[in-house]
Amino acid sequence: MAKVILEPIGSPLRQALDPAAAAAAREAMGRLNAGLRSQRAEVRAGWGPEYARRVREKGRLTTWERIERLRDPGTDVLPIGTLVNHGLTFGEKRLTSPAAGVITAFVRVAGRLAVVIANDNTVASGSWWPMTPEKIQRAQEIALRLRVPVVYLVDCSGLFLPEQGRTFPGRAGAGAIFRMNALLSDAGVPQVAGVLGDCIAGGGYMPIISDVVYMTEQAYMVIAGGALIKGGKGQTITSLEIGGPDVHVHLSACADRRVPDDAACIDGIRAELGRLPGSAADYYRRGASAEPPRFPPSEIDAFFPADHRMAYDVKQVIARLFDSSLFWEVLPDTGREMVCGVARIGGLYAGVIANNQLLTGHPDQEQARRAGGILYREGIAKVSAFSRACNDDGLPIVWLQDISGFDIGVEAEKQGLLGFGSSLIYTNSTNTTPMITVLLRKASGAGYYALAGLPYAPVLQLSTPITRLAVMEGRTLAIGAYRTKLDESFEIIASSPQEEAAVRKGMADVEARITADMDPVAAARRMDTDEVVTMEELRAYIGTVVEAAYQAYGYRRVKNPRIWSLHDLKVLAG
Amino acid sequence: MFRRILVANRGEIAARVLRACRSLGIRTVAVHSTADAASPHLKLADRTVCIGPAPAARSYLDMDAVLQAAEQTECQAVHPGYGFLAENALFAARCEAQHLTFIGPTPRMIRLMGDKVEARRTMRAAGIPVIPGSEGALADAAEAARAAAGVGYPVFLKAAAGGGGKGMRRCDDETALGRGFEEASAEARAAFGDGTLYLEKAILGGRHVEFQVLCDAWGAGVHLAERECSVQRHHQKLLEEAPSPAVTPAVREAMGARVAAAASGLGYRSAGTMEFLLDGEGRLHFMEMNTRLQVEHPVTEEITGIDLVAEQIRIAAGERLSVPPGGVRIDGHAVECRINAEDPDQDFRPSPGTITRWAMPPGARIETHAQEGYTVPPHYDSLLAKVVVKGPDRASAFAAMAEALEATAIEGIRTTLPLHRRLVRHPAILSGRYDVGLLDAPLPAAGPARARPSGRRAGRG
Repeated sequence: MAKVILEPIGSPLRQALDPAAAAAAREAMGRLNAGLRSQRAEVRAGWGPEYARRVREKGRLTTWERIERLRDPGTDVLPIGTLVNHGLTFGEKRLTSPAAGVITAFVRVAGRLAVVIANDNTVASGSWWPMTPEKIQRAQEIALRLRVPVVYLVDCSGLFLPEQGRTFPGRAGAGAIFRMNALLSDAGVPQVAGVLGDCIAGGGYMPIISDVVYMTEQAYMVIAGGALIKGGKGQTITSLEIGGPDVHVHLSACADRRVPDDAACIDGIRAELGRLPGSAADYYRRGASAEPPRFPPSEIDAFFPADHRMAYDVKQVIARLFDSSLFWEVLPDTGREMVCGVARIGGLYAGVIANNQLLTGHPDQEQARRAGGILYREGIAKVSAFSRACNDDGLPIVWLQDISGFDIGVEAEKQGLLGFGSSLIYTNSTNTTPMITVLLRKASGAGYYALAGLPYAPVLQLSTPITRLAVMEGRTLAIGAYRTKLDESFEIIASSPQEEAAVRKGMADVEARITADMDPVAAARRMDTDEVVTMEELRAYIGTVVEAAYQAYGYRRVKNPRIWSLHDLKVLAG
Repeated sequence: MFRRILVANRGEIAARVLRACRSLGIRTVAVHSTADAASPHLKLADRTVCIGPAPAARSYLDMDAVLQAAEQTECQAVHPGYGFLAENALFAARCEAQHLTFIGPTPRMIRLMGDKVEARRTMRAAGIPVIPGSEGALADAAEAARAAAGVGYPVFLKAAAGGGGKGMRRCDDETALGRGFEEASAEARAAFGDGTLYLEKAILGGRHVEFQVLCDAWGAGVHLAERECSVQRHHQKLLEEAPSPAVTPAVREAMGARVAAAASGLGYRSAGTMEFLLDGEGRLHFMEMNTRLQVEHPVTEEITGIDLVAEQIRIAAGERLSVPPGGVRIDGHAVECRINAEDPDQDFRPSPGTITRWAMPPGARIETHAQEGYTVPPHYDSLLAKVVVKGPDRASAFAAMAEALEATAIEGIRTTLPLHRRLVRHPAILSGRYDVGLLDAPLPAAGPARARPSGRRAGRG
């Protein structure tokens, strides 16, 4: 029987959790969510109202106004890399670079999901800061993986030159953006550019490879602007005269269409996307419709107590992320420390792989109980087989990580967890199906790698306000560093009160440093994660990536559910 | 067409669906609880499967049990009847996943119409007039007060997830609204697990008029005129007729065309009913849409000659509507009396027990699962039989009903039969000039039918 029978999972909050515990967890998470929201609001404001005013004075829209006009009414804009460079300053003037000066986001335009890359004209006239090229390339990479169109809203005065040494050279130097332009074009991914202001040097190169280039009357694209020409050639000429629409639309043909202003440019781009073939997502829904979970995503917060060591039932989380809270668990009786299965999101099938935090039995020792959130042999084998099957069947994979790491010790080594883990690494490294990785809470050590962390090229990696991404917990590292000063139960052995105090302080310092480093905002600042989102927002992000994975057709394997290899797995499992 | 259908219900509606299947040459599986193991309607089925003990939660509402029964007996489709799983979007979705055709609308439609706030929004967007009220769900009593001030008192607070009067409060002023908000929200939370409320202007003395629609999976939709269901006791319908004496042919055609277009435009499939309140000025206001067969569907069948259950089954099998738009002809007048196993003199207390005499009138259409010797179990809804008569006009239909009820005899248990004998002679009913407040006043002749405040099982229409 090759039916995909999804069954109800989860239960109402009041049945699943003690109300007091749920309220406490929601309150604690509520504070973190509020902190995240205020940081985002700060980034979104760019350099503030004064700079927005200057933009409007020129008769232009701010970048966010452009995006608002671009999106289909009533749809969400899902930003990627909001917190890149957040909290950092550059140059002698210690300038901030909110969002690294470029907004990258999933935006629905004319019914199609697109990746939008828009220089923030309220931050140093859209300059490229350190990390700006990486952020743009990441957005291009996401579009390339998903074959969804890219819209460039270019308004860029070039590199922020005081920090040119950090943006120009290297593997991810600004030039790699144009290489990505070329690769997108080579892969047949539509690229549409609107040139809406200054586009100097790199800013000038970025739009050119796009299939269609719009220019407003205020826009120009130049290898070198008026100032440099005056310096280099002694001519006095404006940048608009050198590379405005008169030149590029009519003489050089480096651009295609001339439009009076920003609004007309955005409307033109919307029309261009409307000319592309429509989304195949509804075809792949196979008659199903997008249904909300029976239990609201806003309740997920309640399952994560403030103490990160507390366990919870991840199926309650899955129940609050996927359509109608329906789930087909695959191989439920093997490797129970992992939960693998199929669910729908937005009406589309996806594979789900999650860490089970609850105690599970030992496969050989009847009485033994093993802690959850750890990779044991059976769980690794199950995840490998499931991941391969999803890749075979063309199911996007959603990883829900909350992992402390691999099991360690004699049993682990004798069983060859290194080998099983490497098999999983091999599987995930060679998967071509789109993967989205969510770091629900802990993302520790090799477990983070094995479950498709960012180094394993998921299309998107999301953190939550409580994500703890590190090789190991601060406490664990402190114990390791001061091992010789501790007894069997990790109590300090000291010859004097002074020594004991010194050890205590040293351990506390190590723990504090590691904990600060694990802050998801710090990870997002470094682009070690794509976006920090609240638990409630996870469904929108996962749903968008899954839908984007099904939007274009013909570029990747999507098998109909009758012929999924998952059925073979089920039969073989008996 | 399907070869075998599972009927996921009990009582008179199970019997009705089983007969329809038989008329279409489809084999049937009836499921039942242990309490219904001896129910006469099971004889109409080709196979029966016991799906659990008497409590409905462990039998008729147990999705796993019903789905497993369907799988084991190799059914291709399931008819949910009304009540139980009929308007459960999750059940419909699980049927789809199992490739078992759910004879009804899509899970999405069931969910949309099950959320009364969403249903109001959807219908308003589809151009159907709704009762003036809040835009959507109310955040708190203050927002309710603002909405009430906008439409004017009195108002009704209603539960978004509601039905059967649970979580509903009439509020005549702001003080009552403040108090009523907390009470109604708590009641709704207890009854449905969701305390969301919305607000509607209370239209007093209105009539309950509902339009029947049929839509196929290909986008075609027709209306089958309306039913008049204003004879109610605490939101429980007692007697229905079709067409409504208060709806003119012009209104029928105009609103009928709009509801049919709205339903098919929304992608609705199968039979459905849009309930309206007809106010004193003759305006229709949408209340809710029932995404299933109604108890009172036979009166529509009588005046249109269309077998609604058979149509539901054909539509589910992918057939196109057999009735062309404009092809529905209204002929005559039909009346239905619901005979419940309840004691009208004892505050409508359920009256289970063994029927010692069962005489049904010749010439009337009887929808029932009961017979002489049948024991009414205490666990379920008390509907025992529907007596349906048709006449060339309204007066002769009521005269025929009065005659039919005189020829009806049920002994061994108490029923609402005596009440119906009085209703069909009630001057207001006979005149056609009555509204939902009719039974708030005592009935003329023989003992009054006293009102009972609350505590009844949530009703179904």
